[in-house]
Amino acid sequence: MIGSGIPTTACTGLCGPLFVEFPYGYEGILNIIYVSLYVSLTAVALSTVFSITVAVLVGFNDFPGRGFVIALINTGMGLPSVVVGLVVLFAVSNQGPLGQAGFHLVFTREAMIMSQFVLATPVITGISLAAVTGVDDGIRDAAHAMGGRRLDVALVTIREARYGILTGVLAGLGRAISEVGSVLIVGGNIEGQTRTLTTAIQLEARQGRFELALVLGVVLVALVLLINGLLLKLGDRQIR
Amino acid sequence: MHRRQFIGLVGGSTAAVLAGCVGDSETGGDAAILDETLTLTTTTSTYDTGLLGEVNGAFTDRFGAEVDAVAQGTGAALETARRGDSDVVMVHARGLEDEFMREGYGVNRRDLMFNDFVVVGPDDDPAGIDGMNEVTDAFAAIADAEAIFVSRGDNSGTHNKELNIWEAAGIEPSGEWYREAGSGMGEVLNQADLEEGAHTLADRGTFISQRSELESLAIRVQGPIEGGPELLANPYGVIAVNPAVHDNVNYDLAMAYIGFITSRDGQELIREYTVEGEQLFFPEAVAEIPNFQQYVPEDWKPET
Amino acid sequence: MKGGVTNQAVTVADGLALSGVYHGFDDTDVLTDVSLAVGREEVLAIIGPSGTGKTTLLGLLSLFDDPDEGTVEFGGEDVWSLSERERLNVRRQIGMVFQEPHLFDGSVRRNVRYPLDIRRPWADRIRNWLPRFGHRSANPVVTEQLELVGLDDAASRHVSSLSGGEAQRVAFARALSYDPEFLLLDEPTSDLDPRNTAVIEDAIETARSRGVGVVIATHDMHQAERVADRTAVMLDGSIIEHGPTQQVFDDPTDRRARKFIDGELIY
Repeated sequence: MIGSGIPTTACTGLCGPLFVEFPYGYEGILNIIYVSLYVSLTAVALSTVFSITVAVLVGFNDFPGRGFVIALINTGMGLPSVVVGLVVLFAVSNQGPLGQAGFHLVFTREAMIMSQFVLATPVITGISLAAVTGVDDGIRDAAHAMGGRRLDVALVTIREARYGILTGVLAGLGRAISEVGSVLIVGGNIEGQTRTLTTAIQLEARQGRFELALVLGVVLVALVLLINGLLLKLGDRQIR
Repeated sequence: MHRRQFIGLVGGSTAAVLAGCVGDSETGGDAAILDETLTLTTTTSTYDTGLLGEVNGAFTDRFGAEVDAVAQGTGAALETARRGDSDVVMVHARGLEDEFMREGYGVNRRDLMFNDFVVVGPDDDPAGIDGMNEVTDAFAAIADAEAIFVSRGDNSGTHNKELNIWEAAGIEPSGEWYREAGSGMGEVLNQADLEEGAHTLADRGTFISQRSELESLAIRVQGPIEGGPELLANPYGVIAVNPAVHDNVNYDLAMAYIGFITSRDGQELIREYTVEGEQLFFPEAVAEIPNFQQYVPEDWKPET
Repeated sequence: MKGGVTNQAVTVADGLALSGVYHGFDDTDVLTDVSLAVGREEVLAIIGPSGTGKTTLLGLLSLFDDPDEGTVEFGGEDVWSLSERERLNVRRQIGMVFQEPHLFDGSVRRNVRYPLDIRRPWADRIRNWLPRFGHRSANPVVTEQLELVGLDDAASRHVSSLSGGEAQRVAFARALSYDPEFLLLDEPTSDLDPRNTAVIEDAIETARSRGVGVVIATHDMHQAERVADRTAVMLDGSIIEHGPTQQVFDDPTDRRARKFIDGELIY
């Protein structure tokens, strides 16, 4: 009956069979799902482009500090999300470098995308790195021998490693969409703006509405399952 | 550039869609601040009781401006404002508020409303505090009995109040029975509820709004609303962030918000807000005899 | 040309040549003073025991690596003094088949088309990545190359469903799909049964008749006799015998080359 101030009217259909008093209107819950997907998918999409580039560069080039970069990637996989949240908060805060530069990012979805990017990138990069370096050298030689430029060889490598990379992307997405620490700090859990499934779960659990928190958790898991299924299906499709 | 406009630039169509479903711009309002966004940092108690949703919705209907409410603890809410990341704060720890204002970060503080704190404990009342009139005695009894006490431990308004009470009782709480949770009010109530025989200090609003979820906890020591000691009073203040310190803050919108929430209409909303038939907050901004003292930090004197 | 003259360069104006090449890895010379050339419409076999530098030699001819000393020449020009762009154009005139097929994950068609795809402008290629519905029209070049290796009905099959011999034949078709001037073969049939070997050897002959200059490294002397116009014998990184195939086999001048051809030089 109290719903963080959200009208409790439109609780039909979705909430009926759940036997849980649902404080969010239908639009409210859709908005939460939308924000979760928008933030995490954007962060993971950006991170994937960045991670694959880094994986290919690090995987097939020798340069001073390469070992350090790899150690950094591996360490980054275990970065606590609250720490990332704090660092991003300091960066985007009005007193921080980005804030001083005139960007108003604190408590926005863009800031959440930044922190999830930081969280997802080491995971996607690390797994992609293992995948691309696992590609048979002969395949790369063949691409070169057929007249491929460096970029062509890299693209062939990525394509051959695509299942491994996809695993990395899914792991990164799992890390991004399920984390609560950093998005709570940099997003502020603002209703309709920066409230994600995880911060909504945190909010409900804080208020002792465990059943509702659990229902939201089920929605989150179902969503992740759905995305995994879709991506795997997409990756499975024979490309020519 | 305001936050809303920035999102519009970056988020593009998505933000437009979102503005469409959240912003209720059809109700009209002041065209000058339509589509602006006010960032309010506040305590979990105003947020979790649902009061803010009610008040902010009315504000948006009236002015057309969105309120982004970020629920933190009083300490964190003031800290966020110190960095210039919010425009207005609504908190309940006079000591912290005064410090905030003395440092120059806040201006135009208004007393907003009050409710009170209550000491809640288990049904079997192991420390024998039920119905005590002095909260300091009750705290002393809990410490003597070494009955479990869950402290917020998060520098929130409630936590500050609790520390004040321990100090007034002349006790430095420590030991196995004293547990610093480092969590919000709701979480601490849950924790105390799940733990056998635990006590905690709670604001009445959050306790009432969460009571239906709590199995074993009941009010053991009442606050001043129900005739308890003044020490358990819980006054809320609302403060605008000083635009001279942070030139990016939306000061005029913050003042519009303070004006609205301390207006007759705003105060009426607070008075009428009930949970399970109980009034949670008592407005105190509107009085025929104004309280001039409320604008300044305690003990503040003009330089002579 | 007088046969049996060790290390004599065969200069061909429009050919692919190594001249005075030294090359090695980790301070060990694998190739010592190698000069060799192949012209259009001929097959040059390089025979010799394994580990003697044949693969390194082909690597230099296919421009994988630049030699430590000496030059690689294409049409009389020093390839490694060209700009990268010009060198890419040279590389794109050279095809290669390895001992293993090294096919890309995907259909046979995709493999054979790949060299053509990477020669197209980026805009076309990116458009090609977008999902497309409906049947893809058959590419005449792909069909023609697959016919050459007797796999014209296999275009839609996934490479994982091919036998080793079929896969190598696809690799052969792939290397010819872009109509290279030269084709380098590194032990192309050493893993194959006689039937698949025959298909490849026929295809080599067809390629030669179309004007392709072929270099085939093989340890199978009979294969060299069957397909090569000229044969070079390599031992320990040097060419010790070089001339028309029949002459090399019938009357080698070098003592070690004779022993190798007689099957006495066992490594």
